Amino acid sequence: MTPFEAIAEDFASVDDQTRLELLLDYAQQLPPLPDAYHALRDAGLAMVHECQSPVFLMVEVKGDVVHINADVPEEAPMARSFTMVLVAAFHGASPEDVLQAPEDILHRLRIVSLLGMQRTRGLSAIYRRLKHEVARQIA
Amino acid sequence: MRRRGLGTERVRQARTHPIVPNIRHLRIPMYKIRIARNFGRRFGMTGNEIHHLSSKASYSKPSFNQTTRQVTMDTSQYVHGDVLVSTQWVADHLGDTDSIRLVESNEDVLLYHTGHVPNAVRIDWVNDLNDQVVRDYVGHERFGALCAEKGISNDTTVVFYGDKNNWWACYAFWVFKLYGHEKCLIMNGGRSKWIAEERPLSKEVPTFEQTTYTALPQDTSIRAFRDEVLKHQEAGLPLVDVRSPAEYNGTLLHMPAYPQEGALRGGHIPGASNIPWSRAANDDATFKSRKDLEAIYLEEKGLHPDNDTIAYCRIGERSSHSWFVLTYLLGFQNVRNYDGSWTEWGNLVGVPIEK
Repeated sequence: MTPFEAIAEDFASVDDQTRLELLLDYAQQLPPLPDAYHALRDAGLAMVHECQSPVFLMVEVKGDVVHINADVPEEAPMARSFTMVLVAAFHGASPEDVLQAPEDILHRLRIVSLLGMQRTRGLSAIYRRLKHEVARQIA
Repeated sequence: MRRRGLGTERVRQARTHPIVPNIRHLRIPMYKIRIARNFGRRFGMTGNEIHHLSSKASYSKPSFNQTTRQVTMDTSQYVHGDVLVSTQWVADHLGDTDSIRLVESNEDVLLYHTGHVPNAVRIDWVNDLNDQVVRDYVGHERFGALCAEKGISNDTTVVFYGDKNNWWACYAFWVFKLYGHEKCLIMNGGRSKWIAEERPLSKEVPTFEQTTYTALPQDTSIRAFRDEVLKHQEAGLPLVDVRSPAEYNGTLLHMPAYPQEGALRGGHIPGASNIPWSRAANDDATFKSRKDLEAIYLEEKGLHPDNDTIAYCRIGERSSHSWFVLTYLLGFQNVRNYDGSWTEWGNLVGVPIEK
């Protein structure tokens, strides 16, 4: 089972209320952005522009390992939470693991009904950015 | 086996990975969401545990500008300024839960749970106010049931506030008016002003005694439907498109910084003026002064309070903010919100569109 599959299983095995708590749990755990990335963020690089809140997502493939460093405002806990899910699932994974991960990630996490379609697309954009960056860097 | 919070568990697994330096220092919260997955059932999480979970959330508080609180909001400048209350007014009435209900309505589905104005309940625009099958609002009976569940009676004063310049708070306000709720107020400045002033936040989800609530059928005098919009357009009456200029011009089919959200044609309803909704808000999320609003809506754009006016955006949420401004702050006699908005008009066969 991949780390993402384990996370998806957690989300799938709980009721809506616990899923909400789980999302809050992830939102709290997004680590502070390391100092080395502050200049990039402040310069407006690596932003996921589809998100309404300023979401910084730095994806780096070093050797055969994907590194994710992110910064998401406290006022956008949903985007923070989803970003932390991606960090937990894919930070340290191989590029192939990221590229082969399922496309319908939001459905697998069972969060679409919680959000409604109008609110899922910013999150999808964060995920697309991850995959796109990995694909670009190994090309 | 007792499980730590599942997210924590997964992060713990990630931490052990040798190349994950930046999350090594993560503190592991001591709360537990206990799930006996092997036995196929969930152990209940107690209220205390949920609180404990929530209490771990950390906030970076915006710096507090002393002058913010000293400025007395002059609501009398507006035509119906009595629908606006200040953060101080709300702070003074936090305990008046028999007659007043605070309602937080946000775009972010998790935000309320990270801390909210004490005694505020949450109403979600998607899951509480929209029907999940038909594209419409929930219907007056379900709306009444929602109010009853939140401890709102027909005579309760409901004070709305939320994130993003009270955008979603105005939307909830409009839906409450649609179902005939009489006493609706907006907390000027919304969530961000409350937090900027370092006022108290609570993670406790309050429960109130169930009420009986009789909701009225929709008051369609504040809601425009597509055929009415077409007649209105053909008659050359004023329409306000509150989307961004790029959406209005048809170069974008959705908000900048928002993903594509479904219209086949770009542009605007012919004759509509473009007045982006956020022009009505100050930087601190309060509404602009009446003088400044009149300069935009009346002088610059030539709207008139006596004319029937229809506002629209993409799905009717941004335009409910403008509907509020025109109706209450500037005293327009008859403003309707076209909630079908561009996701309906931009897909309709045969209706006129201008770029």
